[in-house]
Amino acid sequence: MKKVHFCLAHHLRVTMYTIKMALLTIIEYPSNILGWLISNPIQFLLGFATIKFAVEQFGEINGWDYGQLAFLYGISVISHALSMIFFVQGWFMGYYVIDGAFDRFLTRPMSVLYQFFFTNINIFGFTDLIPGILVFLYGCVQTDFAFTVSNVLGIIVMLTGAVLIRGGIYILLGSTSFWTKSANDFGQFTQEIFDKTTMYPLSMYPEAMQLILTFLIPIGWVSFYPASELLGMKTLCSSGGMGVWITLAAGIATMLAAGLVFQTGLKKYESAGN
Amino acid sequence: MITVRDLHKEYLVSEKGKGLGGTLKSLFRNEKKIIGAVNGLDFHVNKGEIVGFIGPNGSGKSTTIKMMTGILTPTSGEVLIDGRNIARYRKETVRKIGVVFGQRTQLNWDLRLEETFELLRRIYQIEKKDYLDILEVMDSILGIGELLDKPVRQMSLGQRVKGDLTAAMLHSPKVLFLDEPTIGLDAGSKYALRKFIKEINTIRGTTVILTTHDLGDIQELCERLIIINNGVMMDDGNLSEIVERIAPYRTLTVEYYDSIVPTHPKAEILSAADNVVRYKFMKRELTAARLISDLSSLHPIRDVGIEEAGIDDIIRIAYAKTVQS
Repeated sequence: MKKVHFCLAHHLRVTMYTIKMALLTIIEYPSNILGWLISNPIQFLLGFATIKFAVEQFGEINGWDYGQLAFLYGISVISHALSMIFFVQGWFMGYYVIDGAFDRFLTRPMSVLYQFFFTNINIFGFTDLIPGILVFLYGCVQTDFAFTVSNVLGIIVMLTGAVLIRGGIYILLGSTSFWTKSANDFGQFTQEIFDKTTMYPLSMYPEAMQLILTFLIPIGWVSFYPASELLGMKTLCSSGGMGVWITLAAGIATMLAAGLVFQTGLKKYESAGN
Repeated sequence: MITVRDLHKEYLVSEKGKGLGGTLKSLFRNEKKIIGAVNGLDFHVNKGEIVGFIGPNGSGKSTTIKMMTGILTPTSGEVLIDGRNIARYRKETVRKIGVVFGQRTQLNWDLRLEETFELLRRIYQIEKKDYLDILEVMDSILGIGELLDKPVRQMSLGQRVKGDLTAAMLHSPKVLFLDEPTIGLDAGSKYALRKFIKEINTIRGTTVILTTHDLGDIQELCERLIIINNGVMMDDGNLSEIVERIAPYRTLTVEYYDSIVPTHPKAEILSAADNVVRYKFMKRELTAARLISDLSSLHPIRDVGIEEAGIDDIIRIAYAKTVQS
């Protein structure tokens, strides 16, 4: 137990220092952040304004009213933002493989995956997080969402699961570069899929599509089903109140699989040049 | 300290056809070929040795170094650092080694040098006191103190290499791997680097493994040379012993008063121009003193110079040997 605690403190100290370094870098190049600070929040607030427009025109989307849509949209943007903060490096894993950039991580006495993600935390991701939280809170107020212990726990469990699923998928896709020996850049592509399928109610898609996104590519469990349960909405598929735990379980399973695939791939790592 | 046993590394290379047609064909029928980069290396390095690891480009020396530092996983065989298999116990074993790649830096480009050091201090969990002690040592050897506040992007190559060397020494490694550390350095920086290697070796007993194409590095630093080519060991021994074996000759340059070319039965004439004649002779057969006195009895001599076979000759011969075999 003491050893686990010591190990955790060690990782936390290293991560905190790299965040400090990232902040120092921003101070060195202040103009870089300006674009992020302006464009990212605007992008999501505009997306939200579009929903508002659609709802005002049609009254509701498949039985989802404006507040409920805000709730779902907010949750999705928050999980998007958290995955951007912690796991966006995964998009570029292929380039690390091709450029031999894992060399340095491998010669240091810490896990390669830990160093890859948590010594490169993307603090710009916070510019996505804030609009997400604002929209989510707005949705909470509109739907009279009760902040009970179980509801708050439910949200935390769901978000953790959702971020683990996204991160795990980034790792799985990025790890393919160990075999293909090319930099597979899949970032935008997966983000589009995740965002399009988690920001709006799944029930607005045709039933066949819903079934695919529930069972074949179970993206519905990232946030749609658990969020529906938290709001008490009827959906195609019900888990009897276990939704958030399914999300967490799926997140942990994806992450474990991703870790395994990454470690196997790392044995095939060829470094680069000279 | 380091044991390398029957080390192999193979790469699977897919053969792409020529042109568009070939590329399309290889999409369907991928011809794979196994290429052996390292083909069975065995050697042992003792604590406190400075070993020069040399070989031409593409000889497999970089691949070997990368397997010794835990970057690449061997196809078969093993590398033991201080008795531990580095491929299997990477995290605990890399703590004992420091690695500097001459062509790559581990310093954070945008920030002051000391920021990288502070990060490494946390990664390696170095006590503040030990950290300050080692910085003091590195300051006395390399003068790193005055660079601590300098942003890395503003550094000259020489200063950056000093920063990288210090970064690699912070956790007091038992073995230091230097992959072409002098590449691109000016004479002053090269001198500082060589001085550094000698001093950490004597003061701290650090074992040093060095790859280089710089003959000066080899001559000044390496007591022992490991020459590899085509992924196999070509030679392993101390420098003078290898010289003795591969190039057991010397060159005598004689300047006469006239333009003449006297011969000697045991010396071969390499060149003769103006009044200067160069003789090559075997150390075993003839002493330099004997040759000079024999020649001067034939003709008056104005000046002489003796050269040992250069390290570049040794390397050239060693590499050439591998081409024939």
